[in-house]
Amino acid sequence: MAGHTLAGALRMRLTLLLAAVAALLVLGSRWLQVFNFGAAELKFIGDLGLGAIGLAGTVLAALATAQLFFADLTGGAAACVLTRPVRRWEYVAGKLAGVAALLALFTATLGLVLAGLLLWRGHQLGVVPASLPVLLNACALQWMKFTVVAAVTLFIASYAGSALFAGCAGLLGAVIGHLRPFAEGAMLQWLRIWPNLARFDAEGLLTSGQTMAGVPLLGLAGYWLVCMLMFGGLASYAFKHREF
Amino acid sequence: MIPSAEAPWAVELADFCKSFRPSWSGRNVHAVAGLSLRLAPGQVLGLLGPNGSGKSTTLKALAGLLEPTAGQCLVCGHAAGSDSARALVGYLPESPVFAPHLTGREFLAYCAGLSAVGAGCVAGVLAWSGLADAAERRLSTYSRGMIQRIGLAQAVLHDPAVVLLDEPAGGLDPEGRLCLGRLIRDLAGRGKAVVFSSHLLAQAEELCDQIAILGRGRLLAAGTPAELLGVRPETAPRLSRLEQLYLEKLHPHE
Repeated sequence: MAGHTLAGALRMRLTLLLAAVAALLVLGSRWLQVFNFGAAELKFIGDLGLGAIGLAGTVLAALATAQLFFADLTGGAAACVLTRPVRRWEYVAGKLAGVAALLALFTATLGLVLAGLLLWRGHQLGVVPASLPVLLNACALQWMKFTVVAAVTLFIASYAGSALFAGCAGLLGAVIGHLRPFAEGAMLQWLRIWPNLARFDAEGLLTSGQTMAGVPLLGLAGYWLVCMLMFGGLASYAFKHREF
Repeated sequence: MIPSAEAPWAVELADFCKSFRPSWSGRNVHAVAGLSLRLAPGQVLGLLGPNGSGKSTTLKALAGLLEPTAGQCLVCGHAAGSDSARALVGYLPESPVFAPHLTGREFLAYCAGLSAVGAGCVAGVLAWSGLADAAERRLSTYSRGMIQRIGLAQAVLHDPAVVLLDEPAGGLDPEGRLCLGRLIRDLAGRGKAVVFSSHLLAQAEELCDQIAILGRGRLLAAGTPAELLGVRPETAPRLSRLEQLYLEKLHPHE
């Protein structure tokens, strides 16, 4: 199921479009540095590159999840699968795993583009850019954030009536997740149950040049796992009771 | 054919009801109300009726995709949707769109994997459905008739006892319909119970051992074609006898 989802996702125009846009933004960061306000150029390229990957990846996570889910529902492919000895939670887990694999490929490809750009420009300037482990660490954090957005979108899609609604609501969920650290007021206390996507922000790693390790890494991995299990579980529960 | 006590009916609906609520604030819509039907192995049942009469709902309930609001849906004695029932059911949805990037063989191998049957059965099913020559072509290049046949092939891949087909002849040309009819009769000949919905009355009259006419979720008439049409004279040459009966049942006061 996961491989089938991945194969379908790789052929979606949306995937190619977002990958191309993100790659252009990453590469464009070399020339966009004229808008920089004094920060070092390599830091600017790293920040903008990761930002572009983060933005395009978040959009891809929400829209691809919604589109893949509803393509199967409306085309009858989901019905063909679910009349076989496949449990609904297995179907949901397969979809999520397929989208996670797509997002891993997306992040890895654009991470390579960014690493290449940083190495090339660093070589020209005679400066050592961020080390490969730091960049890998940053890309891994981005991927974790995308998969949480995908899980949230899958939960919404599991009871939504259309791909458009699920995709838009998934994006809205991602925006709320990024604003979550600002939910300090009494009126916004309820937002604390929502995943805090700002915890996966990776720009600080490039600035410090340090990888995340030990307790902070384990804590973040645990937080990610809880988010995935919670929204994956909710999606499975809602989909179990869905009739189509 | 009436099954023995040891071998239950292939399909049994007892007072099957299904209601939907179109929106959270709306009233319940009764898609099917009190439908009772039985079908023995090796027989073909045609579900006829206008759009919205409950044909697809009945097929989906038998496939385990919908839960009955009331009543029972049994497949070979097992509650529809249970693990044991799902292993006995093959289902072809209406107007299916399968993964266009896969070849026919890859698609059936994928379905075989989901059904936990060996990929060895793929070649046999491809030959049976007449798609052996197109097995290496992508599904995006298949015609409507070929998609229906590959859909039928995936439905019978795991050798189910009951095959459920939702408007399998929809959009097919006469040759495609003839081919589909042959495949359905072949399935019945091999002991499978086949339930299909259709708007093509002439085809249903030719293929079916049992016919059920539904209207607004209720059973209007059921029986063998001979029982339903036996005493019906050929009065209107432009309509088949089943077409006459169908219109009479749907509009009894006209």
